[in-house]
Amino acid sequence: MLSPSSALVVDLRNVTKTYGTVVAVESLSFGVRTGECVSLLGPSGCGKTSTLRLIAGFEDWDAGTIQISGVSMQGKRPYERNVGLVFQDYVLFPHMTVEDNVAYGLRRRGVAKAERSRRIAAMLDLVKLGAYGTRYPRQLSGGEQQRVAIARALVTEPEVLLLDEPLSNLDAKLRVEVRTEIKEILRRVGITTIIVTHDQEEAMSMADRIVVLNKGKLMQEGAPGQIYNQPANRFTADFIGRMNWIAGTVVERDRLDLGHQHAMSVKQLGAGVGQRVEVGIRPERLQLSAGPPGGGAANVLPVVVSGVEDLGSDVHYRVIAAGEIPLVVAEKNSGRPLLALGDTAHVAFEPEHCIVLPNDRDQTTTRERSPA
Amino acid sequence: MKRIIDNIWLCLFGFVVVATTLFLLAPLLMVLVMSFDGRSFVGRFPPPSLSLQWYAKFFSDDYFLDGLWTSITLGLSTAAAATVLGTGAALFLDRTRFRGRHFLIALFLSPLIVPHIVLGFGLLVLLRHAGLDNVFLSLLIGHVVVTIPYAIRIVLTSLQGLKANLVEAAMALGATEYRAIWDVVLPLSRTGVVAASVVALAVSMDEVTMSVFLIDPFTYTLSTALFATMRDSFNLVIAAASVLLMGITCMAVLLLDRLVGLDRIAGQGDR
Repeated sequence: MLSPSSALVVDLRNVTKTYGTVVAVESLSFGVRTGECVSLLGPSGCGKTSTLRLIAGFEDWDAGTIQISGVSMQGKRPYERNVGLVFQDYVLFPHMTVEDNVAYGLRRRGVAKAERSRRIAAMLDLVKLGAYGTRYPRQLSGGEQQRVAIARALVTEPEVLLLDEPLSNLDAKLRVEVRTEIKEILRRVGITTIIVTHDQEEAMSMADRIVVLNKGKLMQEGAPGQIYNQPANRFTADFIGRMNWIAGTVVERDRLDLGHQHAMSVKQLGAGVGQRVEVGIRPERLQLSAGPPGGGAANVLPVVVSGVEDLGSDVHYRVIAAGEIPLVVAEKNSGRPLLALGDTAHVAFEPEHCIVLPNDRDQTTTRERSPA
Repeated sequence: MKRIIDNIWLCLFGFVVVATTLFLLAPLLMVLVMSFDGRSFVGRFPPPSLSLQWYAKFFSDDYFLDGLWTSITLGLSTAAAATVLGTGAALFLDRTRFRGRHFLIALFLSPLIVPHIVLGFGLLVLLRHAGLDNVFLSLLIGHVVVTIPYAIRIVLTSLQGLKANLVEAAMALGATEYRAIWDVVLPLSRTGVVAASVVALAVSMDEVTMSVFLIDPFTYTLSTALFATMRDSFNLVIAAASVLLMGITCMAVLLLDRLVGLDRIAGQGDR
């Protein structure tokens, strides 16, 4: 399963970083393969930005090893590494033109003038800013400034590109557009990339693989779909997307008693009879119907609608199932009349969509690597 | 009722602004006018006739000219030294975090609150004890001590207005820390550095209290010369000299503005 470390551009092994008594990164290990785009995803304070700063060389770590292309980065200053970095707020040099900003890294690396001009022109074309070379950063929009920052980081042909919260400074509408643009640029350059973000949508749409972090620890690692559909622990399940939790007592190998004469089937409970377990199910896996559902769904629970959120393309219902279980149901807006507050209805769902997690909640740390 | 009180407050603030402006400008204007007084004695304001006689007297008096020359060379040397040292200190204080940093900042700024008379006396004792008998050098040391707090304060403020990770951005692109400061931080804090040198020049030209401790009959500044003249014979050469001093400072500001383009770069690299 594990690829040999030579194929890894970035390789972190058991890296620990503390600030005073605060542990920012705890025994973190992960790798990024050539050309791969990996997202470090987690809430603020989870250690993702600290990790980025360790890779960029702005800080020293306390234990473990960090290698870039098989070379230890121990004690290597930022200018002794070949890492491209795009800051959250871009940090363009305001007193330099777009061209001079992009030229800076080439100048510091002693690239000759003719070669420099050629590479700057090619890079500005790539980010579609060919005509903006003589402008100053303050004359550009936020999205344009970001493309300059990406061009500035890419022009030196770094071994790995680090993006720190690339979309957080843009407004919601622009975000999706810029996301597609960045993805296209990265694809064309074919560069190995690490994207730090707290936004799961950003991570899922841009990354080939997601590394979920919480409190400095690796929670789960895997492809976006895998993380979403098979979360390894409660934290990942709750952080990536929304999750309904249904508590019950195991009565049979695959059957859960929910109390009040309600029960449901679950595939592979993995817990002994009599134990209390919680089962997760995604809001869009629940089907809501006014009358009793046809088609013989395996699990049906009666619900009362306690809230309706009409988002335009989707409708989110808050319902109380089986008298006491709060659930969120996400439905596509199909055009039929919405259910109203206080309506009674039914939810139906399949046993194979239920997610059963090991008992020891947040503490679990698993490593899953997709086959290389 | 609320509106009346509000209006009264506004009027009060307006009055304060007008009064302050008057008290700031009135003496300057009076000195300016009086320096062109055509009478041969100090009479009532305004002068009945105008002439350049006081300027002629000033420029024919070697006592004043020597002082002016010393003041100019001393002022420029002080401005240069205080700006270089102050910028260095400000960069160090801005880029490092260590125990006692705040104490060091307070120490660097202390000449602002210590009376110049104390500094002058202290320096006189210290420099004589150290065997330094070069008056110009003593004056230079004294003036740098007095002006460096201004330089540090001004440059530090302009550095704190810069994005903290500009240096990191340059380092990630292959620049050493020293190179990053030279390429990015200094150009962006240019306004502060220039302002520091102008303030240092102005303060040095103006300084009397400390300088009187350090001068001797052969090396003295224009302000100490004016001060000495004023005590035994009050005439309007002082007014003419004051206008010249003001003129020199204004010229320095205008010249630097032209050279560096203060407005053009103001506001760049802000957070």
